[in-house]
Amino acid sequence: MKLTTKQLTLCAMLTAMALALSYLENFFPLSLAIPIPGIKLGLANIVTVFALYALGPVQALLILLSRCVLGAVFAGNMNALLFSLLGGVTAMLVMILLSRSRRLSVYGVSVGGAAAHNCGQVAAAILTLGNTAPLYYLPVLLGVSLFTGALTGLIAACLFQALAHTDLMKG
Amino acid sequence: MRWSPKLRPNGWDGLAAAIVLLLAAACAGMLWGRGAATGGELEVVVSIDGGEVERFVPTDSAGEKTYTSRGYTLHVLVRDGGVEVSQADCPTQDCVHTGWIGRAGESIVCLPARVIIQLVRTDGGSDPGGVDVVIG
Repeated sequence: MKLTTKQLTLCAMLTAMALALSYLENFFPLSLAIPIPGIKLGLANIVTVFALYALGPVQALLILLSRCVLGAVFAGNMNALLFSLLGGVTAMLVMILLSRSRRLSVYGVSVGGAAAHNCGQVAAAILTLGNTAPLYYLPVLLGVSLFTGALTGLIAACLFQALAHTDLMKG
Repeated sequence: MRWSPKLRPNGWDGLAAAIVLLLAAACAGMLWGRGAATGGELEVVVSIDGGEVERFVPTDSAGEKTYTSRGYTLHVLVRDGGVEVSQADCPTQDCVHTGWIGRAGESIVCLPARVIIQLVRTDGGSDPGGVDVVIG
């Protein structure tokens, strides 16, 4: 795969934005309202949804992988890598499939991604802890993904509308 | 732009949301339904790093217990037939925020310390390590 300078720059900027959003959501700790380990708003998913439509699945996946690895390195917590990778890659695969159908709007794709992300994270928790206890949280996490997915879908939709007439969206 | 997304929610999105909701309800029915079962005795199982380290009956063990793992210390309060992590020095504090649990199937997970405190119901005698009858 050959990337143009513009595409490479865009990928780098989106990776930086995703990292910044991951950091930003620490200031909105959803876990205070719903005490479940690792529960988050998933704001970095806005970048994933945007990249999926604007750049395509391969580049979106590259951005996601870079964000996961760099996020773990910057946080100095390599244990978190398994969680972000399993959650992120599962969400990405589901969103690729859902977006291909062309029937769902960005909201539906985002909700599907959020639900898949939580399933991936529960799988990571089961693998890490060697115990199926985290499965107990899955129903709540799936319910919450309806709201977090709709929120990221709304922000992504606003982003697409705001950028509709820019050169960025014309390839 | 590779392809333009639909920006307004439609009926297909509603269907996707309904499937997620249905999945959540099905998981709740399967996973939480087990906790609603009666009979047998409620036990607390404490696991660290995937291995069971302690098992006790909460009604017989009221008081405070301390577990240390991966440099973190969890203070567990056993009261009213259930348990809670009253204090912990882990960075996330999710275990403390979970609060008191007292129903079979419920658990408190501390990811940084790799500690799981689970409530299980013994199935009345089929458990070889369990107690059949408590006298006195």
